[in-house]
Amino acid sequence: MSNRIVETRTVRTFGPPRRDRVQLTNMALLALLLVAAIALPYLGASGFMVSLASTILIAATLASSVNFLAGNGGMVSLGHAGIAAASAYGAGWASQQGMDPGMQVLVALGMTLLASFLYGLLSMRTSGIYFLMVTLAVGMLIYGLAFRLSSVTGGENGISGIERFEWLDSYWTYYYFVLGVFVLATAALWIVSNSPFGASLRGIRDSESRMRSLGYSVRSYKLGAFMISGSVAGLAGLLAVWHTHFVSPSSAGVDRSVHLIVMVILGGVGTLLGPLIGAAVVVMVENLLSSYVDRWPTLLGLIFILVILFARAGIAGSAGKLFRRLRARSKAASSPEGDAPGGAAAPPGDRHAVHQGKDPQ
Amino acid sequence: MTSMKTRGRRSALAAAGIAAITALALTACAPPGASEPAPSAGSEGEEGGALKVGFISPTTGNFAVAGQEMVDGWNLYWDLNGAEVDGITIETIVEDDAGNPETSLTKAKKLVEQDEVDFIVGPLIANTALAVAAYTASVDVPNLHPVAASDDLTQRAANDLTVRTGSMGGSQANYPGGEWAATDGGYDTAVTLCADYAFGWESCAGFVQGFTQNGGEVVEQIWFPNTTTDFSTYVSQIQAAGADVVYVATAGGAPGPNFLNAYLGLGLDMDDLLLNCCAADQGTLRTMGDQIVGLKSVSYWAEGRDSEAVAEFVDAYKEFADGKVPGAYVAGGYMTASLVASVLAERGLVTGEDLVSAITEYTFEDSIFGRVSWDDYNQMVGPVYVREVTEGDDGNFYNTPIATFEDVDQWLGRSPEDALAQPTYSQSFQGLE
Repeated sequence: MSNRIVETRTVRTFGPPRRDRVQLTNMALLALLLVAAIALPYLGASGFMVSLASTILIAATLASSVNFLAGNGGMVSLGHAGIAAASAYGAGWASQQGMDPGMQVLVALGMTLLASFLYGLLSMRTSGIYFLMVTLAVGMLIYGLAFRLSSVTGGENGISGIERFEWLDSYWTYYYFVLGVFVLATAALWIVSNSPFGASLRGIRDSESRMRSLGYSVRSYKLGAFMISGSVAGLAGLLAVWHTHFVSPSSAGVDRSVHLIVMVILGGVGTLLGPLIGAAVVVMVENLLSSYVDRWPTLLGLIFILVILFARAGIAGSAGKLFRRLRARSKAASSPEGDAPGGAAAPPGDRHAVHQGKDPQ
Repeated sequence: MTSMKTRGRRSALAAAGIAAITALALTACAPPGASEPAPSAGSEGEEGGALKVGFISPTTGNFAVAGQEMVDGWNLYWDLNGAEVDGITIETIVEDDAGNPETSLTKAKKLVEQDEVDFIVGPLIANTALAVAAYTASVDVPNLHPVAASDDLTQRAANDLTVRTGSMGGSQANYPGGEWAATDGGYDTAVTLCADYAFGWESCAGFVQGFTQNGGEVVEQIWFPNTTTDFSTYVSQIQAAGADVVYVATAGGAPGPNFLNAYLGLGLDMDDLLLNCCAADQGTLRTMGDQIVGLKSVSYWAEGRDSEAVAEFVDAYKEFADGKVPGAYVAGGYMTASLVASVLAERGLVTGEDLVSAITEYTFEDSIFGRVSWDDYNQMVGPVYVREVTEGDDGNFYNTPIATFEDVDQWLGRSPEDALAQPTYSQSFQGLE
């Protein structure tokens, strides 16, 4: 599994800028999407729809944190729901003790850092399938604690009645808040991915031994990456608990972590908008389609299988791929003797273009 | 490299800036619909007669069987009696939550905001029930619970709009079991084996308190994880404890038959065994068959009770489900429907808080559970049966009452204030001083 995910590294909508025009189209697309998202409550969407959009954005934030690790570090985590749950339980516990939302944020932050550090510490020596197993185990640990430590967590019943800030009280202000956090988190992860730190992470992903022999401290890079990803996951956990006013052990469950992976793979590993697309598909099937289709879990499974079979780079990844293939074809048609076999036009180091050139032949 | 980096950073910053400014500008004015009033709360007899009911239940996932049974029970009543009470039509919208609290909440929001239902029935699992109850109370919509057994639903998390209509809390339903074992049963010592999570802790706490308050002594309490399939080690521990009576509480499903197979397989005597509702539910009876005729258990539901209401319900369900006898989940759904119908017949169309108070002020004399009423915390007060497995004329197996405890409330012999001041039940706190 991990191997297959690593393979998809060649598909990245946002790498080093290839051509200014592609960059420009992407930026325009993003701006359009953002405007649509901002306009949503004004387009006659009901309170329920806006609240569902918040759910999608929160799931997308959490999926982005998984995507960051999987895309840049090749580390597929099966325990990220645990980090979000740790943060949510922190906020829940604080609210139970009668603390105001400000303190909830601090306790949630503390729990997030603690959980991320624990995850990072235990998993930084591992990679591939072992990384997956370690994160799965720590996730189970958090689930077990939530389930069994009933004096603090309320056991299976969970903690309810968790209130957010008063100025976030109405559903639409909260939607804008969630949207803002999602945009900022995505931007932050994108900036980190395109920094030297991100490049080193990809180096570690591609060849750990080479990076080590170059003098990089692989473990500290992995721990750092986990802390960054964990912080975003914790943020998503806090958003979720403020959205539902409720937290229970099922939010730390393995199936939740698996859902996150499904979102990331559906959307496209390592893509900027993949997590959002994946989250939208999963959340809508779960919450909207399930009202009309009895066997909606089967449907979700079918969608997943189809994406794996026919669009292995995910929805966002494959759409980008298709778009570029079309462009390359039209370009090749207009200047046949030009840069057809793909070498010359592509900037050095741009794997995608090289790959692209070979593919159609 | 540097130029790329700065450009990336600059454009990202610009995007973030634009986003922040637009968000600020737009949030200054609320979108249309944001100021719309919440669905009208509590009103009596307006615009003719129609009640829209939202029913949330896990009809897929791990709890699909129980979830479907709960829905079947509700539908069965309306199929049998017509979905109309004195000109008030009942329309039900069923939503699946897969046992997931977040989905449950979204579905509740959908039912309230989009379908504008008058009240919500369900869901099934404790954490989903508590999450939905908190939400429905915040939007002034009544929430009826046919099966959810969590004590706190009508204790620490009780509110004016949440009422448990078709089941009892874990501790409440098992408290008379302890009393029976220590008195009529004639046992002096007990060992307990309960599922190691909230429902098991509550069930065990009920039994243990009933047993000790009546002079019994609990020598050992053993806990098993819900996923246990091989119970032989637990059976050995029970043997080693050497108590007079063995009390076992599971949450239904496979653990019941698995435990019994291990217990009977070692040649132990079934006579000194007392199970909870769900370890001896219809699923267990169908699986184990005539091996367990005479097995005793304690529950608020007894399908073998001699009563007109029960007979009518059991016969109807047998016809619906290819001869199967209904268990507690079906009974909970059916009970809730028959209760709503009785209340509507007496009070006419009531919604909102009025519906809940109409239910809690009502005494249901001849329900399938017997004579039940409701306390100030909207919890059912009614009979609990000590039951024995018997084989019916139709070849099915029934839990038939051998002892009845009338008017059992949820406070286990305490005042509500004292009971609520206690910590919640856990392995380490079973309500004993």
